[in-house]
Amino acid sequence: MASAHTQALPGPTLRRRPTFSLRRWTEREGVFSWLMVIPPALFLVALVGYPFVYGIWLSLQDRPVAKAGVFIGLDNFITDFHDPVFWRVAQNTFVYTFAATALKMVGGLALALVMNQEFKFKNLIRAVMLLPFIVPTVLSTIAWMWILDPSFSVVNWFLVHSGLAKPGPSWLGNPEWAMFSLIMVNTWRGLPFYAITLLAGLQTISPELYEAATIDGASTFARFRYVTVPLLKPVIFIVTMFSVIFTFSDFQLVYVLTRGGPANATHLFATYAFDVAMSGGQFGLGASIALSMLPPLALLIAGMAWYMRSEKT
Amino acid sequence: MASIIRAASRRDVLKIAGVGGAGALLGVGTGRAATKNLSFMHESSFIQTYDDFFKKTLVPEYAKASGITVDYQLISVGSLQTRMATAAETGNGPDMTLTFFNWPFLFDEKLADVSDIADEIGKKNGGWYDAAKEAVIVNGKWKAIPFGNVGQIMNWRSDWFAEVGIKEFPDTWDAFLEAGTKLKKAGHPFGLELGHGFGDNHGWLYPLLWSYGGREVEPDGKTIVIDSDETARAVDYCRKLFHDAILEDCLGWTDVNNNKAWMSEQISCTNNAESILWFAKKQFPDIAEVTQQSLNPQGPKGRFHILAPWSHAIYNFSPNQKEAKYFLVWLMDPKQVERWYAAADSYYAPYLQAYDDAPLWHVEKRNLPYRDSLKTSHLPGWPAPVSRQSSESVAKYVVVDMFAKACTGRPTKEVIAEAKAQLQQIYKQA
Repeated sequence: MASAHTQALPGPTLRRRPTFSLRRWTEREGVFSWLMVIPPALFLVALVGYPFVYGIWLSLQDRPVAKAGVFIGLDNFITDFHDPVFWRVAQNTFVYTFAATALKMVGGLALALVMNQEFKFKNLIRAVMLLPFIVPTVLSTIAWMWILDPSFSVVNWFLVHSGLAKPGPSWLGNPEWAMFSLIMVNTWRGLPFYAITLLAGLQTISPELYEAATIDGASTFARFRYVTVPLLKPVIFIVTMFSVIFTFSDFQLVYVLTRGGPANATHLFATYAFDVAMSGGQFGLGASIALSMLPPLALLIAGMAWYMRSEKT
Repeated sequence: MASIIRAASRRDVLKIAGVGGAGALLGVGTGRAATKNLSFMHESSFIQTYDDFFKKTLVPEYAKASGITVDYQLISVGSLQTRMATAAETGNGPDMTLTFFNWPFLFDEKLADVSDIADEIGKKNGGWYDAAKEAVIVNGKWKAIPFGNVGQIMNWRSDWFAEVGIKEFPDTWDAFLEAGTKLKKAGHPFGLELGHGFGDNHGWLYPLLWSYGGREVEPDGKTIVIDSDETARAVDYCRKLFHDAILEDCLGWTDVNNNKAWMSEQISCTNNAESILWFAKKQFPDIAEVTQQSLNPQGPKGRFHILAPWSHAIYNFSPNQKEAKYFLVWLMDPKQVERWYAAADSYYAPYLQAYDDAPLWHVEKRNLPYRDSLKTSHLPGWPAPVSRQSSESVAKYVVVDMFAKACTGRPTKEVIAEAKAQLQQIYKQA
């Protein structure tokens, strides 16, 4: 019996030892967290890290398309530095980003404040508001192409028929108007993103704060200035950061409407880099132009982060 | 041979082998398993019947003759270069591809040498135009088989020209300006692209520069000579033409705009390929009726046009290079290629002299100038050979923007100096 017993129990005695169990191992917190983190990390390395490092590597080479590259250090960046179009492109990109972001911020905040009120069909209107953001950029931009067309433009039709201008401005043909038009289209497209995000932020603000402020005799503006704005600041910061990144590296809009014309008046970093790399077949030089977006963007973001932090303390 | 071409019958094998004696040139089978498929990348043509003819007629015919199915991969308009680059960079892609403009030069290291079959095809078809050679011969080797030129000439409204008393299209740039001035006053401005498109701007601005004797670089491909009195005269002319004859919006145009403006009767003259008349005939017959086409006007140093070649190349990483060569020889045989040309009217002007008087040119007499323009057509950067520098100059719109800036009112000296500075930057390594 005893022998039978001991024979019957070899398993449990063995199992009591610290043997390897995959299941238990993966359930350990240290292991489990790593298992969860590794796939997205690999994903990021493959789809973001690798192209980024490869981009840096390309920018350090004299690398024509379909040909072997030669390492040339920072020569491409020096070439950019001496290229008058590069500086024009840099200037365009900054003007475009600042103007469009500022307009989106003001317009988005106004829209969010309106949307935060109670009115009929609120949900429907909120959904409609998102349309510009949902429609694929290329499609909506083609619509804008018609709106800005000198012959068919509804804007010009209105201007001419109301006697305000004759003929209407050449929205995409005149260098200044072209930049203005692009900023408007970008603002139109990006506004819903601002508005919906800020609206979400507004809804987290407790009504009691407004009530308290009202009892203290705060005017509407004072409530906005001393309650809404401070509490909304973190959201404004995040949404502005995203907007700056997207606007700074915008491509589609310019590519469809003007391709950088007239005479480079609307060329941005992304479109110029594409032209040089793809049409011109200069991968190295193109990569260096695209990478030139990085330092100013990083500075902008760091500056904003620093500002936010100093505000908090 | 038998291992390469699985012919339906012995006679078909002989028929294919007989084409241009390609069999002898290419040697016999490699011992690999016979290929049954060849892939051929093409950009969708504006002329639908052209792609249809290939898919519905040529593909079955070749399958019958050789047992090989050609997979005609159509790419949307405007994305062929990106696709070509992807294939060239990864060494993985179709066996054959269409190429435009100067791409045989950009991609030459990834393209097979097709000099052997080019000679044969030329002999079979009455010889190649010089323009064809300018388009595809890289360092003495044919890197593609030229197919057709999508030429750019002047398209004009004969009714409106007649209204201001002009019956014949102006032969010189000066007469062109005079006509344009009258027409703009009459409410029918010219619509010549000065923006960042890829064809309709180069189509008249390079020829304008050349016809005044201006050029970017000397034939040595190094010496920058853009800063010349000739260039200055061309720039001055362009500014005046813009001011007196052209619609202001042209500065921001890309290649779609002039077609739109044409079909909506906004402009009396533009520079475009044959597609504008083709499209008008299909959709706007009234406009087509009064659409005329003429060679670019000439300047003090002659008359010029832009060369816009469509060619077929074989990737050198393709395992089926020999089969691809057979196919191209078959395709460019008069029995096949003449019908393919004809399927697009004369949109693709053949680079082969045997077709100078072919029936395809008699379908629409107004298209004849496209044929005649071949003799005076060159690639951007001419008279220097095509190089990575000239490609970069095109991509950066150096010449186009020089003219465009002048049109916005900037002084001639300044815009030329800027173009020169850009070219010095681009050509510094040449």
